Amino acid sequence: MDPRLEYKLAMTRRHFFGRTATGLGAAALGACMNPSIFANDFATGSEKQTYGVMPAMHHAPKAKRVIWMFMADGPSQLDLWDYKPKLNEYFDKDLPESVRNGQRITTMTSGQSRFPIAPSMFKFAQHGQHGAWISELLPEMAGVADDICIVKSMHTDAINHDPAITFMTTGSEIPGRPSLGAWLSYGIGSPNDDLPSFVVLISRLATGGANQALFSRMWASGFLPTKHAGVSMRSSGDPVLYLSNPPGVSGAVRRQMLDGLGELNQERLAEVGDPEIAARIAQYEMAFRMQTSVPELADISNEPKHVLDMYGPEVSQPGSFAYNCLLARRLAERGVRFTQVFLRGWDHHGSLPGSIRQLTKVADQPCAALIKDLKQRGMLEDTLLVWGGEFGRTVYSQGTLTKDNYGRDHHPRNFTMWMAGGGIKPGIVHGETDDFSYNITEKPVHVHDLNATILHLLGINHEKLTYRAQGRDFRLTDVHGKVVTDILA
Amino acid sequence: MQLRFAALIAASATILGTSAVTAADRKIEFNRDVRPILSNNCYLCHGPDKNQLQAGLRLDQREVAIEKRESGQAAIVPHDAMASSLIARILSADPDQKMPPVDSGKSLTPAEITILKQWIDQGAEYQGHWSFIPAVRREPPATKFPSHVRNEIDQFILSRLEIDGLEPSSEADLVSLIRRATIDLTGLPPTPAEVDAFLADTSPEAYERMVDRLLLSPRYGEHQGRIWLDAARYGDTHGLHLDNERSLWPYREYVIGAFNQNMPFDRFTIEQLGGDLLPDATIEQKVASGFNRCNVSTSEGGSIDDEVLVRYAVDRTEALSTVFLGLTLQCAVCHSHKFDPVSQKEFYSLYSYFYSMSDRAMDGNVLLPPPLLKLPTADQQKLQRDLDEQSTLLQQTIVAELSKVNYVDPLAGRELPADALTVTRNEMVWFDDDALPTGAQLQGDSPWQFVPKTEGPVFSGEKSSTRTATALSQHFFTGAEPGLKISEGDSLYAYVYLDPANPPKSIMLQFNDGTWEHRANWGDEDAIGFGAKNTTAKRLGGALPKTGEWVRLEVSAADVGLQPGIKLNGWAFTQFGGTCYWDRAGIMTRSVAPPTEFHSQIAWEQAEFPTPNKSLPVPIQDALKIEAAKRTPDQQKQLRDHFVQYVNTGTRATFAPLFAKVTEVDQQKKNLEAAITATMVSEDLPQPRDTFVLIRGAYDKKGEKVERGVPSVLPPLPDGVPNNRLGLAKWLVSPSHPLTSRVIVNRYWQQFFGTGIVKTAEDFGAQGTWPTHPELLDWLATEFIKTGWDVKRMHKLMLMSGTYRQSSKVSPSLLARDPENLLLARGPRFRFDAEVIRDSVLFASGLLVEKTGGKSVKPYQPEGIWEAVAFVGSNTREFKPDAGESLYRRSLYTFWKRTAPPPSMSTFDAPSRENCTVRRPRTNTPLQALALMNDKQYIDAAHKLAERIILEGGATAESRLTYGFRWVTARQPTSREMDVLLKSLERQTASFQADKMAAEKLLTSGDSPRNTSLDLVEHAAWTMIANLLINLDETITK
Repeated sequence: MDPRLEYKLAMTRRHFFGRTATGLGAAALGACMNPSIFANDFATGSEKQTYGVMPAMHHAPKAKRVIWMFMADGPSQLDLWDYKPKLNEYFDKDLPESVRNGQRITTMTSGQSRFPIAPSMFKFAQHGQHGAWISELLPEMAGVADDICIVKSMHTDAINHDPAITFMTTGSEIPGRPSLGAWLSYGIGSPNDDLPSFVVLISRLATGGANQALFSRMWASGFLPTKHAGVSMRSSGDPVLYLSNPPGVSGAVRRQMLDGLGELNQERLAEVGDPEIAARIAQYEMAFRMQTSVPELADISNEPKHVLDMYGPEVSQPGSFAYNCLLARRLAERGVRFTQVFLRGWDHHGSLPGSIRQLTKVADQPCAALIKDLKQRGMLEDTLLVWGGEFGRTVYSQGTLTKDNYGRDHHPRNFTMWMAGGGIKPGIVHGETDDFSYNITEKPVHVHDLNATILHLLGINHEKLTYRAQGRDFRLTDVHGKVVTDILA
Repeated sequence: MQLRFAALIAASATILGTSAVTAADRKIEFNRDVRPILSNNCYLCHGPDKNQLQAGLRLDQREVAIEKRESGQAAIVPHDAMASSLIARILSADPDQKMPPVDSGKSLTPAEITILKQWIDQGAEYQGHWSFIPAVRREPPATKFPSHVRNEIDQFILSRLEIDGLEPSSEADLVSLIRRATIDLTGLPPTPAEVDAFLADTSPEAYERMVDRLLLSPRYGEHQGRIWLDAARYGDTHGLHLDNERSLWPYREYVIGAFNQNMPFDRFTIEQLGGDLLPDATIEQKVASGFNRCNVSTSEGGSIDDEVLVRYAVDRTEALSTVFLGLTLQCAVCHSHKFDPVSQKEFYSLYSYFYSMSDRAMDGNVLLPPPLLKLPTADQQKLQRDLDEQSTLLQQTIVAELSKVNYVDPLAGRELPADALTVTRNEMVWFDDDALPTGAQLQGDSPWQFVPKTEGPVFSGEKSSTRTATALSQHFFTGAEPGLKISEGDSLYAYVYLDPANPPKSIMLQFNDGTWEHRANWGDEDAIGFGAKNTTAKRLGGALPKTGEWVRLEVSAADVGLQPGIKLNGWAFTQFGGTCYWDRAGIMTRSVAPPTEFHSQIAWEQAEFPTPNKSLPVPIQDALKIEAAKRTPDQQKQLRDHFVQYVNTGTRATFAPLFAKVTEVDQQKKNLEAAITATMVSEDLPQPRDTFVLIRGAYDKKGEKVERGVPSVLPPLPDGVPNNRLGLAKWLVSPSHPLTSRVIVNRYWQQFFGTGIVKTAEDFGAQGTWPTHPELLDWLATEFIKTGWDVKRMHKLMLMSGTYRQSSKVSPSLLARDPENLLLARGPRFRFDAEVIRDSVLFASGLLVEKTGGKSVKPYQPEGIWEAVAFVGSNTREFKPDAGESLYRRSLYTFWKRTAPPPSMSTFDAPSRENCTVRRPRTNTPLQALALMNDKQYIDAAHKLAERIILEGGATAESRLTYGFRWVTARQPTSREMDVLLKSLERQTASFQADKMAAEKLLTSGDSPRNTSLDLVEHAAWTMIANLLINLDETITK
């Protein structure tokens, strides 16, 4: 038997079975018992089983977990995914008013006297069976074109970073709503009791990055109980806050302390009968287990070289995007429901070509590696991958324009994301934009639609997962959202 | 990551509903029994929202619900449930007929259907929503447990227990009582000495005396104030985008003081919402109005002012409704409220009270976005007066000296020489330091950053502007008004310092006269792509200037295409990569340069006529522009005085030292001004903004214009109050208002008993929970008003009740009946708030530094919390912990960065303070266990608690363990507990005996130095015992 499981069972017996005479109610006892310790892993659990408030999945899930590579600050769809050959005829010409159609633009460029079109200076080529156009900046992603579904018709409501990134992560521009991961934790939880159900990995700043702030509200629980908040794993210091014992306190000394603590808490539980004490005892034991499971998770020294090589040279540096992508896979293997890997730096208002070239060097290979790595382990089919940021960028240049130098402002009206794995139709392009990548011409996908689709793939009806707060039933998708059935496998 | 308490939660949710059903003989009450069912399941399509209304059927209005429909049936036929189509449709098996519709995801339970049937059979009587009906004060009911009655509260509680067949618990032991009361009133535990004194006081008034003592403690205001700050959404940063620091802490001080001086709650309300509008408002009252400024604010480039101003006003309206009305009006931002009778128009009427506040949309990322109020201390005020006196004295001396001068112009009466002054070019500074031209709007791809001399090279003045870039980067401004006029032959200049360690590839100056097509470039001419080379759009200035020193860049205006007569309104500093510092910039322009000294006033006037030097005082300039003969006598005197004091070779030496002294005093005044604390306050625009309904809440979709007003479901504004924020505040606390006092006493109840009488403390509307004890809530609400909104008296009333004093022990059967303790057949028991946990542990260890008030402090937090999320240019990106006593202040003084709150607080459910919070969740997680076990602050505390135990706890292990146990739980350990502790001590001692290095490490890792007079192994073992004690469930639980 797995020694950790053995230990869990021993603890459970000692603390719960050994004290049935204490007067603790049967209901409370049942609640303290941990159902998942008897189920080795995801695989053995019922398809319909959840570990959150939902008694059962609303329908059979296609994905069991999600990894979102969040490209914060808005990558340029025009230079990566959305090929617009016609633009070359329009170099330095003004964006036709019929295209712009009086749409609002940020006050960073609204003062510009003209809006000269900046065609992408990068070469595009067709890749994969379906011949998706992909920029030369993404050679590794081009190699897995058949595994992904490129959604070119994403759109959002907000035009500035703070509200837009808050919208993308929580479904509302106003701070204070639960994030996607918190909703998942609340609704279906995770089968792993040694790790959080929602983990956030923030990659360190990369060369070529022009970055904005992140906010802890992006993985907060909002009005949901705090335990559903994302746990931001750190690349320096303790991977989880306060995980390490203080200097001089060995695992054995900690165990001694916990044994005494457990016994005293048991005494108190027998005396006052409050089931919260039983819960606290269990949480201390879980904390103790995390002291083992988390460092084990963060330690990649046992990964074979060919796997490390897939993610690229930076994989050995904790906190790099490559390392975080590998960590995301390790988290997925351990049943973590939702991992969100943040890579900042796509805010290329000026000198975009030089900067994006540097940034894609960091961003391209690990994404493709993650797909390949999951695939070779047979995990891609039930792991949903999402790639993208809070908005796209404008076809017109911000600041002065030359053939090989330009900048792009924020563009919420259309941008590109891709999805792959669990339940997503591979090797397709969904949606289309006009010749200027300025307006959506086919199959728009709103942020709420994306969220509805993600929940759907996990077995959740986005209209039914609600929480009563401030006098109404809240949903991740507010009163909107349609599952994008076209992209479902 | 969580325990599976679904079973418990489900059980707790049903207890009240169950009791309503089982008591079949009770008359069904619409408000209590029926309305929640209709509201949850039917009102979405058959409720107040006209846009969603289906089939014209409203179930929230009796007259519509009972009228015959086209089908010939009525939805509700009073006294005949089976004839009512409402019931028929609910019971229907036909998916097309079934209500609620299958695809709505809603369905009724059999119990709910029974209630609806009973209600219709009993006549289908409706009621208005309970919380909008004024509180009715009923006589406290009789009870069959008279011995448990301490005051009126108990009569209400006990009579409800009787209905449910429950019995109250006996009174808690005295130690539990003093601990409970001390924690609840002051946020700190009692000391062993306080416990002993209380146990020794055998008089019947001992408990009351103890409560009175605690109410007078200054700790009371800190604890109660801290709870209020959650509601007020107080934070130390702006909360959005850069999330820079802001200064509002004097408002926190006001809140603490208000509780300590027992300010009546009505006054507390009025001062916070409208203190600035009170006639002859005091400084305190203006500070109080900072409540309205606690909202999050932004200065994100690209934001649209109109949109942001709408957000601020919506936030303030929601604060009003959440904190005082206990209503959520959020829905009405976009559409009429679906569940509560507040229309969208009424929302915007309420919102208009806040829409005309004078703070700007962009907070400028500054510490004190105006309006603000300066708050000099007594010492500062004295210094201010001293400096003013010195100024006056100096002025008098100058006047006296002036009167002594008898000046005779040497040219008087002589023929005047011809004009022989030369034309030269003078340097004119357009901007220097962070003093940019008026109207300039700073923009760029990163925030402008100004550094003082201590942090970087500065060419002139106090600061320079700096930036580090990896690629193309721009700082620029536009909008300068009146702008910089260009004349024939002028040139433009700026000073630059290139970091020798990290020089840029290229630098550029750009000038805006409406377009940016005027550039000068130094260094790699291809690095910065703007403009066609060798045109006025990109003049090449040659190689990069020398690094490591200040270099003056100068370019002829004509070379970059700036014609005489045009005006610059903007300027850009552009660089590719590297680190640059920029300083003083301006123009070399033609002007008359007169000598600075004259013997003759006539010659001086001639030199200054008709375009006097701009540096002269304005009245002097004005006088000099006029021909001598046309000057008034007053002007003549002004000119003469000025000449004698500043210009005349013979006399100015007398005045120079006096003016130097004036300058010095002025500088001191300036310094003093900068040192004076200031705080953000409320203020209204002189002319209110027009307010409109915003269609679907969109800032740019204006609908109908609205006037200020309160929702019609609530009473009108009282007579004689102004129709502004002040009047609105007075309305809230007018005796006829049905909500405010209920909402506030309910929150006090929640504080002491764990759950409010209305569990949803933030929502008294239709979607909120029904009060468990409506008559008690009304009695308390009326009592609060009757006693003049006396807060301490209300707190004391609750603490004096027998209900509060019950033992919190719970039997399995009672736990099963009432897991959440809503009916209070036992005393309250729940985990402390985050702040109370930290403060209690610091207190027990002797580390807590009790000092009231002041700026926020930064105690230890793990590294990287701020950096991980912050914007590069944010001034709250780098966390530097304070040192010394600031590490150990009470937690309400901890600096609150709203995008990354202190983790030791948020781990224990403290809110981010981005929104108003009137009810915190109370979770139980492994992250909390890790924090209490391993957070450096708690290890430090364990170390000090161990020291205290060894030094003060007597000689034996037993007496020491008892002493330590009492510091954290107030009580003595039982003998079984003592056995466990002794065993643990023995094992820990053995461990450290075997590894003394480990003991040394443990005791030297924290901020507190190790007391070397103590035995190393003993101290380390006791530190782990203290760590254990701190982690006991009981230590952090009431």
